[in-house]
Amino acid sequence: MANETAPTANTQLFRPGYHGHNQISARTLGFWLYMLSDALLFTALFASYAVLDTPMNAAGGPVASQIVNPIEGFWQTIAVLGSVTCYSLATVAMKNGKRGGTAVGIIAAIVLALVFLAFGVNDLATLAAHGDGMDRSGYLSAYFVLILTHAIHMGVGILWMLVMLVQIPLFGFNDMVVARMLNLRMFWQFQATIWVCLYVYVYMIGA
Amino acid sequence: MAGSHSDPLAHPEVRQGSAMRYIAGFVSTVVLMGAALIVTMRHDLPYQSFVELVGGLAALALFSQATLFYGLDISRAQIWKGVSLILTLPLFIITVGLTVWMFQSLNQRTMVMPTSAAAASQPTLLQ
Amino acid sequence: MQLQVPGPWSPLLGRLTLNAIPYENPILQVTFAVVALIGLVIVGLVLYHKKVGYLWREWLTTVDHKKIGVMYIIIGLVMLFRGFADGLLIRTQQVLANGPHAAGMLGAKHGFLPPFHFDQVYSAHGTIMILFAATPILTGFQNIVVPLQIGARDMAFPYMNAVSLWLTTAAAVLVMISLFVGDFSQAGWVGLIPLTELPYSPGVGVDYWMWAIQISSVGTTLNAINMIVTIVDMRAPGMSWFRMPVFSWTTLSTNIIGLTAFPVLGVALALLGADRYLGTHFFTAGMGGNLMLYTNLFWIWGHPEVYFLILPTFGVISEVIPAFSEKPIFGYVTMVAATFAIAGISWLVWLHHFFTMGAGPDINGFFSVATMLVGIPTGVKVFNWMFTLYRGRITYSVPMLWAMFGLFLLLVGGLTGMMLAIPAINYTVHDSVFVIAHFHCMVLMVVCAGFAGVTYWFPKLFGFKLDEGWGKAFFWTFAIGTVTVFSAMFALGFEGETRRLDWTFNTAWKPMLVVEEVGMVLYVISLVFFATMLVVSIRNRHKQRLAADPWGTSRTLEWLTPTPVPFYNYAVTPQVNTRDELAWRRKYGLENTKPDVYEDIHMPRNSGLPVILGALAGVWGFAMIWRIWWLAAISLVGIVLVVIIRSFDKNAGYHLQPAEVEAMERDLAIGAIMAEQSDRAHHHTHAEAH
Ligand code: HEM
Ligand SMILES: [Cu+2]
Repeated sequence: MANETAPTANTQLFRPGYHGHNQISARTLGFWLYMLSDALLFTALFASYAVLDTPMNAAGGPVASQIVNPIEGFWQTIAVLGSVTCYSLATVAMKNGKRGGTAVGIIAAIVLALVFLAFGVNDLATLAAHGDGMDRSGYLSAYFVLILTHAIHMGVGILWMLVMLVQIPLFGFNDMVVARMLNLRMFWQFQATIWVCLYVYVYMIGA
Repeated sequence: MAGSHSDPLAHPEVRQGSAMRYIAGFVSTVVLMGAALIVTMRHDLPYQSFVELVGGLAALALFSQATLFYGLDISRAQIWKGVSLILTLPLFIITVGLTVWMFQSLNQRTMVMPTSAAAASQPTLLQ
Repeated sequence: MQLQVPGPWSPLLGRLTLNAIPYENPILQVTFAVVALIGLVIVGLVLYHKKVGYLWREWLTTVDHKKIGVMYIIIGLVMLFRGFADGLLIRTQQVLANGPHAAGMLGAKHGFLPPFHFDQVYSAHGTIMILFAATPILTGFQNIVVPLQIGARDMAFPYMNAVSLWLTTAAAVLVMISLFVGDFSQAGWVGLIPLTELPYSPGVGVDYWMWAIQISSVGTTLNAINMIVTIVDMRAPGMSWFRMPVFSWTTLSTNIIGLTAFPVLGVALALLGADRYLGTHFFTAGMGGNLMLYTNLFWIWGHPEVYFLILPTFGVISEVIPAFSEKPIFGYVTMVAATFAIAGISWLVWLHHFFTMGAGPDINGFFSVATMLVGIPTGVKVFNWMFTLYRGRITYSVPMLWAMFGLFLLLVGGLTGMMLAIPAINYTVHDSVFVIAHFHCMVLMVVCAGFAGVTYWFPKLFGFKLDEGWGKAFFWTFAIGTVTVFSAMFALGFEGETRRLDWTFNTAWKPMLVVEEVGMVLYVISLVFFATMLVVSIRNRHKQRLAADPWGTSRTLEWLTPTPVPFYNYAVTPQVNTRDELAWRRKYGLENTKPDVYEDIHMPRNSGLPVILGALAGVWGFAMIWRIWWLAAISLVGIVLVVIIRSFDKNAGYHLQPAEVEAMERDLAIGAIMAEQSDRAHHHTHAEAH
């Protein structure tokens, strides 16, 4: 083999004191990979939505243009992006070591997320109350499940933020807390990314 | 483990956070979505160009999020995120693209689509 | 919200009633008796030897990647046995139930299995073999070998590693429970749609199938993340990407598939679940459902999945062949490139599983060509192995025999796959047993590589080799059995036998069905040899004293550790200087050089939470299957709580002091030095061949 050279006096066989990987980097990379996996989950849901988004699959029930409201969706867009920005700013406060600022940012993010969820849940509840629930047609199944999956992700994020609100005063910014804050930042930004896809595809192209 | 004795707040992923970037990410996404909303409400483009235009705006928004929110770049701290994203992007396109393609063909060959006026005025990707 | 299901339902027990237990079925009675007996014997032995504490401390709560890997392989082997029993039932039913005059017994019109039971058996067979036998065995290897091979002390996330294991276990347990409580799906391992929908499968069978797969695939996804981060972040100093052993490369590629493909399966099954539990209409016949959407989603995962299985076995073969040819692998870089080409192409071909759906010729053409493209990188690999063998100093020890037979099966399976990739041919043989024979060549190649790996790496973990003589007997009966069964099956495919027949109506098939049954007898004999091999090897284990590299010709880093490998793997992290590090050190007489200073080692602490999480996931699955809502809610809340509790745990781990490490290394070395004496002679005759 070309790269096979004989050992010399300087050849090292062991590396005492070698410090392997960094915990925080490993955790953020791992979480990023999880998000790619989650992104494929949404990809599969979008593909299903595309297949079921035909008048035939509406089975006599409403089609997209009859149920989506792009203007209301725009308010939701602002709410979810605002929430993401607040949380991201919280991590900037963390960078500066400010626990108070971090907590304020997280609380603002939770409030805006709740506003976003209120819009979405209200939409779905109104539809269902009119008999156009997810069991009405193939199209409505796809619509409900796509939006609910995103909403459930948002709910998990809120729970996670609540845990962080407890852990920051309890532990301070130690390795684990910082890694969780960084992962949550990715997770939360990811919700905005998914929402952009959802808004454009379902609410605008469907309108 | 290694690094546990150094200051976690000195980690490059913490350092990369920046208020300016996040606010820029917010503004750019809202502006792009606002533009897409205007195009949608005007209803004056043919379906094909409408989808292309709105899709293009969405792509810009996603790109701005990748750089401004996630802060992806090719620095040592970020490189594996970038690489893994680039490896995965084709899969998103393959999954949705090939699925839509095969079901377009299948529907066209095997299904009788409703031809009522309401349905005809309501194009979707599969028609 | 409770969707109307036929049969009784009570708030306390859901759909569970005494009728769910099939006590009147003689086959299940016998199975139950056997399983209960084995269970009692195991529990009895554990109690008698007072090993409960040991089991809990050393195994159930462990976060050591090697022990986790061993448990994965044990689960895989147990499920392999269960799947084999199913296969035996299928084959025997088909040969007995041949022709209109075939006698019937035990309530069956022909043969001994009535249709509803036969259908469960083949559905369980496929699901178990692919998801609960092959996958855990391969995951086990990756867990054991990769950290050792890249010079790491453990995986990136040892705790999460244990969580993955126990989720997989919980799912396997659910599949086993379905034998005795309720029934299993009758809709094939692929979940034929709309048969899996509530109106056509109102029982709990589909639910067992669906939730077991969901739970295990969460485990697989977590494991994929763990593997990728381990390989990216934790290679020893000096191990640049192109010095990484091929097995680690294939592990990386296979886990990229695992990470990206499994979520799609998750969606396919979750949407089916929504149909069954919430009354949606994703795949229903009518109300705007689309059946082919399920098939599409399933195979978007399904085809990458088959490569998820085969790629690590390519890795095993790429380790075994060089070690027993005493040559470096031929064309290392092309090997790596081919691995990733295969992984990439595997994402582009899924429609070849439903060419007959009715899409246009442009679409079938695209997928046909894409499918055939995979032959190019596969061919590159096969030729690389051939050139590695060429002019090598070949030893036909047991791992090598398995690897060679694996290559043969790969060739047959690959060529028949190419035939199937041609739509015109596919229309005639689709859903015939020709397809079954094709993919059994492929998955048996996985099994062969599995046994190659077991025999090859066994001594590293346990400190003794598996018996060579019985190993060969096992190999030959297994190999001849395989050829017998599947040659006949290819023939039956051409004679028009379709798959999943509980009654083989055509008497012209009889001769070949009998030949298949003869092959099955060989398999049964091979199983006896396998058990004998285990018993004999364990009994003779003290007669051997093994060096760090018991084979004397291995090439990669994992063989640098003492045999059996200590729990901390490397006392001092090795510095990697070249691609085949061990072969290089051996060539220059450095393989026994020990580090001159020891340092303290940080180890993660054991944890009982992963087992608890697994148990909760199992209970949750059971509650969902039987629609016991209160139990499902409690266990779900329990899972969330355990995750949160864990996040409050400071889990600092513990440190081994340098003096301790040195003492342990010395104890381990005594065995090695004794073995060296006798190994020397052997070693010199096996000098590097170039
Ligand atoms: C040279 C590469 C391969 C080609 C060209 C190929 C081609 C095909 C095709 C066209 C089918 C569909 C047949 C039909 O249902 O009509 C098929 C089925 C199948 N193949 Fe392969 N294949 C290849 C490699 C593999 C490998 C490596 C595995 C597994 C490790 C595998 C496992 C399967 C399975 C499990 C099925 C049947 C699934 C089912 O319907 O139950 N194949 N293959
Ligand atoms: Cu395939």
